[in-house]
Amino acid sequence: MSVLRVGFIVCAVVMCGASVLSTAACDRLPGRPAVEAVAAEGTAEWTTQVFNTSCRGCHAQGKEGSAVPLMDSEYWRAATDAQVVRAVLEGQGVLMPAFGPAAGGPFTPSQANALASGMRALWGGGLKPSTAISGTVQAGSADRGKSVFETACASCHGSAGSGGSAGSVTDPMYLRLISDQGLWTAVVAGRAALGSPAWNMPMPNRPSGLASAEVADVVAYLSSLRPRSASELKP
Amino acid sequence: MNQTSPSRLIGAAVDWVEARTGAIAFIAPLLTHHVPRNAKWWYVFGSATLMFFTIQIVTGVCLATLYAPSAAEAWESLRYIDEQVPFGWMLRALHGWSSNAMVVMMAIHMLQVFLHASYKFPRELNWVTGVFLLFTVLALAFTGQVMRWDQDAYWGLGIGASIADRIPVFGNQVRGLLLGGPIIGGETLSRFFALHVFVLPGAAIGLVGLHLALIMKNGISEMPKPGETVEPATYRERYEKRMEKDGVPFYPDAAQRDMVFCGACLVLLVVLAAVYGPFGPGGQPDPTLIDTNPRPDYPFLWIFGAVSLLPPASETAVMLVAPLVGVLVLVAVPFLSNAGERAPSRRPGMVLIASLAVMAIAALTWEGKTSPWSPVMDGWSALPTPGHFIDGRTPLQVQGANVFQFAQCRNCHSLDGLGGERGPALDAIATRMTPDQLMRQIQQGDGNMPAFGRNLDSAQMTALVSFLTTLRPDFEAPAMIPGAQLPLPVRSMPGEVTTPVAAGTR
Ligand code: HEC
Ligand code: HEC
Ligand code: HEC
Repeated sequence: MSVLRVGFIVCAVVMCGASVLSTAACDRLPGRPAVEAVAAEGTAEWTTQVFNTSCRGCHAQGKEGSAVPLMDSEYWRAATDAQVVRAVLEGQGVLMPAFGPAAGGPFTPSQANALASGMRALWGGGLKPSTAISGTVQAGSADRGKSVFETACASCHGSAGSGGSAGSVTDPMYLRLISDQGLWTAVVAGRAALGSPAWNMPMPNRPSGLASAEVADVVAYLSSLRPRSASELKP
Repeated sequence: MNQTSPSRLIGAAVDWVEARTGAIAFIAPLLTHHVPRNAKWWYVFGSATLMFFTIQIVTGVCLATLYAPSAAEAWESLRYIDEQVPFGWMLRALHGWSSNAMVVMMAIHMLQVFLHASYKFPRELNWVTGVFLLFTVLALAFTGQVMRWDQDAYWGLGIGASIADRIPVFGNQVRGLLLGGPIIGGETLSRFFALHVFVLPGAAIGLVGLHLALIMKNGISEMPKPGETVEPATYRERYEKRMEKDGVPFYPDAAQRDMVFCGACLVLLVVLAAVYGPFGPGGQPDPTLIDTNPRPDYPFLWIFGAVSLLPPASETAVMLVAPLVGVLVLVAVPFLSNAGERAPSRRPGMVLIASLAVMAIAALTWEGKTSPWSPVMDGWSALPTPGHFIDGRTPLQVQGANVFQFAQCRNCHSLDGLGGERGPALDAIATRMTPDQLMRQIQQGDGNMPAFGRNLDSAQMTALVSFLTTLRPDFEAPAMIPGAQLPLPVRSMPGEVTTPVAAGTR
């Protein structure tokens, strides 16, 4: 019995002590969760966090990543923030998901804006969008585009349908998966790490690259080859 | 003077109340009823469970005043409780740790009752109410995890929904009933909130009352002695005689031991809460926060482990049937044998069963803690296709890599060791499967892989398969000579799935 009594008293004392201690030192106890370090919207840290979780899986850098590498400066030379915000909020083509509220996505328009300018600050190389060429797709002539393609592009991509060392870009399956804007970006920015030239780089028969009108023409040509419906794909 | 002294006044007030309610007459026998003298420290676990339950109610009521049970605000409100409310985090930590402690204490209590066969006549219903209490408390723990409304909650709900889905015929209806709609959404949280704060606590309080009433009615079982068997015909009489001769009043003799044990538990609880803090909330479905690998809470980790070990084909049967069998077996225990020996030394089979169960649950919990069951939720948008799987591919194949990300294959399949581990790594898949087999796998799914047939059109499927056929160690990008004229129309006709070799070469 006396052992019990002693145990009882010890417990009571320890409990009183513990509660007094935790009341007094509640802010300094190890279990207190650290105040969550969510970077403030628009800071470089925030941009990196958002980009790394939501975008990097498709838009990385160099050879890495399957869509246009946003961590390289090439893309940012012609693209405008408005264009980026639109792509983020509304998606683009078939394979770029919409992240805006209309699609049930997580980004508000103001967050999309902050993301666009944040990415430009990190990876844009300090450049303003070029005045020599538009960042968004422009109307052109498919007929003229065909001859641009045969002279400037076919050496790498093969003439219509055949593919070449760089693989076909006239394959209807391929064209079904990429939007006109996507084609525009592919031609304008190129992808140096994979050996794909930017529009103003030397190409066969175009020692100083393409004229901006030729870019519009060749994109119009590629666009004209795209099957309008899935049924056209069936052989 | 004497007439108005304070003690007289209090005494008069107590008498007044007693005359009208009979409260003391009701409580006194509860405190003074005789319990077996030899019921030493073995019998403290039930009281400790009750103490944790009381703590759950008190802290739970406090939390309910602070928590916002709406999908849009729940997660934020937990952060608010953690960071702004004085003692808020402590409250959450106590509620979380006490919940786990209660489950553990209940398990120990049950194990003790099982080993000592205290469930035999006349205490069969004590055991049955206890089993129902166990499941009610597990349900409380499960719905409580959902309250955090984080990735872990999603995991739990996902599993719950997939179990519901497997119910034959009514699967969809049960799922709808559980989630409040076809998918996990705001409705789901409201539904689980109602369960967690009204329905289940109500049921638990009722069952606790019943359990205690049965204990009063049947008395606390004496320590088992080998050779001292339970005979339903004579048991009660013998028990009563023994209590008169040999029993001690519950208060203060046994109660003191309970109090010391509960006090120690309480100290441990406060220390755990103070040192390890509250549980979660883990990553919320918000792109600005790094996601965590979702795991269920401790009481369910072993189920998670079992699921990860199951061969996919048996999952439906096991997930649906096992819980039912579990309940039935537990309820049946006292009806299978309610008389005879109680001492563990005379019931070696039962001791074996109990130790096997304990070991299995411990091993499965470990498995659940370490298994790579869960998909990497943001693999598709966070993990880029490595450069050596992009370099030298045709534009169509690169779009195929886009489809691979877009269709979230990466959440379950890794490349270069990064990505989900639910399915096998696909780094060298082209060496294992032909394009036709790949197409079939993706269209029809298989075991734990969903069927993508209806989600991918023919262009997406062609590009994806074409990309997968380049995933092999010996794939070589052809040397690039800028501007070189290569007479190489190697690609096959559009629309056709190319063979691995042809797709690799250009
Ligand atoms: C020096 C060789 C070369 C020349 C010239 C060239 N390209 Fe390319 N192109 C490439 C390479 C290499 C790739 C990358 C292959 C890949 O993405 O799979 C590429 C990729 C592309 C893509 C696909 C981009 C994507 O992300 O899907 C398009 C579209 C494209 N080129 C269009 C053109 C057009 C139009 C021209 C002519 C104005 C042209 N290319 C000229 C080498 C070339
Ligand atoms: C599942 C892969 C995927 C993810 C994740 C993804 N994108 Fe894209 N994105 C694409 C593809 C594919 C395209 C090209 C679509 C087309 O034009 O057909 C694209 C296009 C774009 C473009 C337009 C480029 C142009 O043509 O001007 C921008 C900007 C862009 N993405 C930004 C983002 C940002 C920012 C995020 C993260 C919030 C993101 N993307 C997440 C696949 C993805
Ligand atoms: C929910 C997780 C999950 C997703 C998402 C998923 N898979 Fe799977 N996949 C699996 C599992 C699990 C297996 C193992 C096969 C089984 O369970 O029968 C598997 C098997 C495979 C296999 C066969 C691998 C082998 O070695 O036998 C291929 C190929 C495959 N998946 C491709 C894909 C592609 C392509 C996608 C995207 C369109 C995808 N998977 C999406 C879970 C997933």
